[in-house]
Amino acid sequence: MNKLFKSKIYFDQYLFIAITLLSIMGLVFLYSASQENFETTFKQSFFVIFGLILMFALSQPDPDFYKNNSLIFLVLSILLVILTLLIGKEVNGAKRWLDLGLFTLQSSEVIKISLPVFLAAYLYDKTLPINLSHTFIALILIFFVVNLVRIQPDLGTSLVIFIAGVYILFLAGLSWRFIGVSFGIFILSLPFIWNNLLMPFQRQRVLTLLDPSADPYGSGWNITQSKIAIGSGGIQGKGYQQGSQAHLDFLPETETDFIFSVIAEEFGFIGVCILLLVFFFILFRCLYLALNARDRFCRLTIGGLSLLFISTIFINLAMVVGIIPVVGMPLPFISKGGSSLLSFYIAFGIIISMATHKKLMQK
Amino acid sequence: MIDLNRTVSEKKNFFNRLIIIYTFFGLLFLYFLYKTFSLQVSSYTDYEIAALENKTREILVQPRRGIIFDRNGKILVNNVPSYNLIISPSQIDDLDSLLDQIQPIVSLSDEDIDYVNKNYQSRAKLNRELIIKRNLTIEEIAKFEIRQHRFPGVLIDERYVRENLYPNLFSHSVGYVGNIDDNKLEEILFEQELQPKETIFKYSNGHLIGQTGLESVYDSDLRGSFGKKIYEVDASGKLLREIEEVQELDGKNIYTSLDLETQKVAYKQLNNRRGAVVAVDIRNGAIVSYLSSPSFSVNKIANGLSNKEFQKLLNDKNKPFFDRAAQGRYSPASTIKPAIGLYGLESKIINWDYFINDPGFFILPEDERIFRGWKKGGHGNINLNNAIIESSNTFFFSLAYKSDINELIGFLSNFGFGKNICVDCFLPDKGLLPNPKWKMNNLNFGWAKGDTVNLGVGQGYMSATPLQLAYYAALLANKGTLNEFSFVQDGEGTEKNNLISININDNDWEKIHQSMIGVIESPKGTAKRLRQLRDFTIAAKSGTVELVSTETKEDYKIIREVEEQRDHAIIVAFGPMPNPKYAVSVVIENGESGGSVAGPVAIAVLNNLLKE
Repeated sequence: MNKLFKSKIYFDQYLFIAITLLSIMGLVFLYSASQENFETTFKQSFFVIFGLILMFALSQPDPDFYKNNSLIFLVLSILLVILTLLIGKEVNGAKRWLDLGLFTLQSSEVIKISLPVFLAAYLYDKTLPINLSHTFIALILIFFVVNLVRIQPDLGTSLVIFIAGVYILFLAGLSWRFIGVSFGIFILSLPFIWNNLLMPFQRQRVLTLLDPSADPYGSGWNITQSKIAIGSGGIQGKGYQQGSQAHLDFLPETETDFIFSVIAEEFGFIGVCILLLVFFFILFRCLYLALNARDRFCRLTIGGLSLLFISTIFINLAMVVGIIPVVGMPLPFISKGGSSLLSFYIAFGIIISMATHKKLMQK
Repeated sequence: MIDLNRTVSEKKNFFNRLIIIYTFFGLLFLYFLYKTFSLQVSSYTDYEIAALENKTREILVQPRRGIIFDRNGKILVNNVPSYNLIISPSQIDDLDSLLDQIQPIVSLSDEDIDYVNKNYQSRAKLNRELIIKRNLTIEEIAKFEIRQHRFPGVLIDERYVRENLYPNLFSHSVGYVGNIDDNKLEEILFEQELQPKETIFKYSNGHLIGQTGLESVYDSDLRGSFGKKIYEVDASGKLLREIEEVQELDGKNIYTSLDLETQKVAYKQLNNRRGAVVAVDIRNGAIVSYLSSPSFSVNKIANGLSNKEFQKLLNDKNKPFFDRAAQGRYSPASTIKPAIGLYGLESKIINWDYFINDPGFFILPEDERIFRGWKKGGHGNINLNNAIIESSNTFFFSLAYKSDINELIGFLSNFGFGKNICVDCFLPDKGLLPNPKWKMNNLNFGWAKGDTVNLGVGQGYMSATPLQLAYYAALLANKGTLNEFSFVQDGEGTEKNNLISININDNDWEKIHQSMIGVIESPKGTAKRLRQLRDFTIAAKSGTVELVSTETKEDYKIIREVEEQRDHAIIVAFGPMPNPKYAVSVVIENGESGGSVAGPVAIAVLNNLLKE
């Protein structure tokens, strides 16, 4: 029936305006954070425009399109990740990027979206609350994907993928008992994880979090400088492009992981609050859309993707103020990096598609 | 229906769980917001300071030390410029070709080139300068300057060296500077509320501090205050721009009472013999000449001396580093006699008409020990006046014998013996004025009457430095009152010491002066040979310090074969009489005769001081 009304445009003005606003703010921040590097900002703005178009385009197909093709997307993205491991570009000892000529693709950013979408599709026709066997199948898949990303190594993204997968299971009614037992096992296996799964530098980051002053010029440098940048911003901030921490190279990774520190330094607590308000607006819109989604697939997908978004934001913010250890995690729509940026446009494209395509009979 | 119910319950379940996670994250974000608030608002000041400290770098600017003058305004110690060739590595692209081009103009040793290569990268990164050659010759400077346009980023930098214009004349009095140890530097900077850090040096040799003499005593005046330059820096420490400057304050100049010309005379007179000369203005206690011999070049010490040269100086048997003027301990010998005589008058043991018979020796009644005079057969019937002129030992043995040892020591201490009488001398020794308690504590023997008798002629345990002997001479000259000695006189003057005396009147002082004039002027005087040398009437008392006790002249002839066993020659003198202005003490180690060896030095010094 709907196919007859091809001319209909599926569009959520709230999300679209908020995300566009966030993207523009991001470009403004990035220009200062990149030491007024025009090339970086220009490249990023290209991704923003492309991303907005992509988001609009991806919100046009019916959600069933994503549901029916989720396995293909998942297999494709797993292949991309494996390909990255084989022929990826090595930067600082990590193979995270596939050189596609025009731009380098961070394959983990793709699978970050396709995994939750697949899980939601997989659970679409299963009986809920999810039973034990489906839980295990899903968990095996999650661990498989997470591990592929972890060995790149990309601890931050693998963590987010894990969280996103688990959200879907949780939203699908994972039993509290199962959660409790798993959590117990997790706590008990912490020493094993610490000794065997974490790389020495990752362990060092955890130790640094506990006491950054132990080695302020070594492993504690990033977090120390980040706190100084944020703290010295005060209420009003030092002014756009006036952040000494950012502009005199004290802050590391100003364009990516620590871009929030630049924002906090230059725009102060007021700027931080405004940025958070925009994020919150998007999140609450997602919550509203998830609660009103047309079917289980849409509910789970919107829920999962919005929680992916929320986790990414929180991990980044918690990292730069020293609540959690330093893990590579961009701030969505703000940090430099095409793959991460596009992955969220894709995610919101799917969310908008699900929010705008209604069915007469809701399942 | 069942299906619908299921859907409803599933939806409800979904809503609940989504709300749970949102709430969970809501709490996390609240915590994050609290954390950010505490960073940006509660602890804002701390972080604001931290950010400021991050981006600024304080660099100290070394002040120049004050100049040291003699009493006529002649410069003794100055800061002399030296020229270094420096490069700004950040402005230089090809170091090797630059060095190749500089080589024919300013020759660089392999060592210099190694140093440049080693430090080039780091200096370039930090935007600092790099010295490539120190102490350029005038020729090198001239050659470089006409070609300077070919070398952007290369320039000549003026640095100073601390230079004593008369490096051997003032080795012990003015002293020398040297490098400062880290603790002391920290202490000095702390006084200025600064901390040790990168410094722009004015001196080629870096941080300097007075090590000895006036350079050390007046270090805090000479030193000045450090300035600072505050730069904006990036995280790598690279200097970006100067934000603020606090001008350094050069040290104060020091105007001493030393007289260059007299010092030259004393130096020439001592002619590198082991000994010391101290001359003072008796009116204010100002030291005008202060020489310990042999001396050494302070410039070499201050501006770099090879270890070999240093060891050679250190191991020299004449001990050039030893400040004989303030630290050499010598028995005053016969020079003490006027003081003993004054004690006799003060304690009324004798008067000017008191005579004794001097057979050439004194027999201690207690144990019949014999104390000999220097003249075989003695001086016959003799009173105080002649006992001083002829230097009768027997007279003073017998006078000392009759005295109360504690009273005598108390009296001698008024003359500055056994204590420090200089306000700004470098590490002066107090000498030794012995007393019974001292002997018991140090030698574990009780005081014997013989010790008192020996003290009567300035032999035995008592010792004094040339500085103290000069003080003693000046106190005699000034009739019992004298300022403490000083090299630098401020407006107020140093403390004035008065000889506490009841029974000595001006007439007694005049007579003591007359006796001491007689030492030179009388045909019987022990220093009568000085009559030909002196341009003014001078009062004096010579002494000969016995190092090895001998019974006869023949015995002495044997021991004098070894130079170190020969007697020290010593003299104190003042003039012009009858209104003395200057007093002087001279000690010449192993010089044998106070009158004829030390005497001419004292006369030459006084002649020079008085000729104006």
